[in-house]
Amino acid sequence: MLIKLQNVYKIYSEGLEAEVRALDGINLEIDYGEFVAVVGPSGSGKSTLMNILGCLDVPSHGSYWIDGVDVNERSDAQLSFLRNKQIGFIFQSFNLIASMNALENVELPLIYQGIAPAKRQALAMEALGRVGLAQRSHHRPSEMSGGQQQRVAIARAIATKPPIIMADEPTGALDSKTGREVLSFLQGLNREGSTIILITHDNSIAATAKRLVRISDGRIVEDKRQEVSWA
Amino acid sequence: MNLWQAFKMALRSIRGNKGRSFLTMLGIIIGIAAVMATVSIIQGMNQKSMEMYERMGSNQIMVNANAYNGMPLFDDLYEYCLQLNDLVEGVTPQGSFNGTVTYGTKNSANMDMPPQVFLGSHQYSLCNNFQIARGRDVTKIDVDNDNNVCVLGSAAAKAFFDLSDPLGQSLAINGVPFTVVGIYMEKDPQDQPGWYSMDNMVLLPYTASRALKQDMSSFMSQLVVKAKNGPAAKEATTRIIGFLTNLLGDPNDPANTKGSFFVSNQDSWKDESAQVANMMSMVLGGIAGISLLVGGIGIMNIMLVTVTERTREIGIRRAIGAQRKSIVMQFLIEAGVICGIGGVIGVLLGTVLSVIGGQLLLKMRILPSPTITLGAVLFSVALGIIFGLYPAIKASGLQPVAALRAE
Repeated sequence: MLIKLQNVYKIYSEGLEAEVRALDGINLEIDYGEFVAVVGPSGSGKSTLMNILGCLDVPSHGSYWIDGVDVNERSDAQLSFLRNKQIGFIFQSFNLIASMNALENVELPLIYQGIAPAKRQALAMEALGRVGLAQRSHHRPSEMSGGQQQRVAIARAIATKPPIIMADEPTGALDSKTGREVLSFLQGLNREGSTIILITHDNSIAATAKRLVRISDGRIVEDKRQEVSWA
Repeated sequence: MNLWQAFKMALRSIRGNKGRSFLTMLGIIIGIAAVMATVSIIQGMNQKSMEMYERMGSNQIMVNANAYNGMPLFDDLYEYCLQLNDLVEGVTPQGSFNGTVTYGTKNSANMDMPPQVFLGSHQYSLCNNFQIARGRDVTKIDVDNDNNVCVLGSAAAKAFFDLSDPLGQSLAINGVPFTVVGIYMEKDPQDQPGWYSMDNMVLLPYTASRALKQDMSSFMSQLVVKAKNGPAAKEATTRIIGFLTNLLGDPNDPANTKGSFFVSNQDSWKDESAQVANMMSMVLGGIAGISLLVGGIGIMNIMLVTVTERTREIGIRRAIGAQRKSIVMQFLIEAGVICGIGGVIGVLLGTVLSVIGGQLLLKMRILPSPTITLGAVLFSVALGIIFGLYPAIKASGLQPVAALRAE
């Protein structure tokens, strides 16, 4: 099992009157090679779930294993290493660093891996090539369209060739055509063996995933596998 | 991530924000330049006074004594100093008066800088570090026979004779003719307008005071003793003080009615001068140091703003795998590089200011000492690291998700 959550809670202001249970006892297992859409309305806790799955946040209670290793027992350095090696993030707002050009943005996770400049640049260019932006490697984010920026972000996520891709509303800031392109790119990655976890509020997008996990008020209310026909 | 990468990243970020980076550096630049210029100029002043003492003559002991009852103690004192010959190389009475010196149409009364007329023995030049350039020095025979001869310092020779040969010419001092027998070599090249050169002098045998009808006791105010090298100066000083205490009593006793005296040797002047310079360095350097500190706080301020502004960037970096220590390193290096560049510019500016200040104020070439220069740069980098530490730690302490949420 790649990912296993057991009784995971994320509670803000715990014990106070204003207590908020963003995650309220989540049990979830995700296997290698799955394409999971976590769907739910805003405020349902789906982003909190992704933050915990991506080791960007820690659960208040409960256990979480990635690849059989308990995340709670890991140090900051180990978690950073895990985020760097195992997970590629794609965010709704792209989260590129504005002062760096496309190539430098894609290189960044490789820098933190300590890869030598020449090899790093080759890997980053390869990733940019895969998203069709090799020619724009020296453009800054501000010089690119939203769709292009998201493709740079995807290139950054796949540059380290991580087994897991986590995408939080990756099409949310894009028009429907570019959104579809991003989706089919994710599907392509899944075909090549990557595990994709896609967070969305959009049912039509969730309908294209092989597995749909519906979340509401911090609880999983539906978990089903669905037949999909990807182009 | 290695250090070189972090360094390049810091440079990129500084370049990306040139205006602000420069303003931040400005505090460091001004601070360091001020510290360096102040300390260098004070050191230059100290060096200049040390050189002046050297030119006056080494191992000098000045003896001033004055008996209240008019007791003629000069001869006894001179006699006593002369017999200290195991400690002493030379002794001369030293007196000076504002004599009017005339030669042809030239009259010292009309000069901006009239030469000083000194009275001394044949050992005057030895004690005061003068050397004969041409002609001959005052001799013992001149002293014993009250000969009306004089030796000119180079500046005085130039003032009265310009290019013509002074040797054998006759100068009138207070109307009494004196034959020029020698000229001393220049020992105090004085390029400071308004400052007196030690070369602007005329030396007469002290016995000439009789010919000038001057009461010797009224201007024969001191003896100059040149001690031998090593501990002799200290020993001679002690003995002379002992001799005078015997004669005149304790000079520090306010009830003493016999007389007063003052004996000082060059070491004590040098110490005093070095102490004054040291104190000035500390006070002025301290004030300049405060401006450096303010510059450092400016760095902290800017780094805090930078961290807040770049919280989201920190979140992104954390999300894609930056460790906490990489973030700390990044911001520390950024602060260190800003201060380091500021430090280098400050050192350059400080050097320029020291050179210009030295030329304008002291007419000498002052270069900041390597210790101060190195110290200033290291200090500024240290400032960057110290003041960058707090924002850096603050930046790294955020949960990635919290940092990512920042706008």
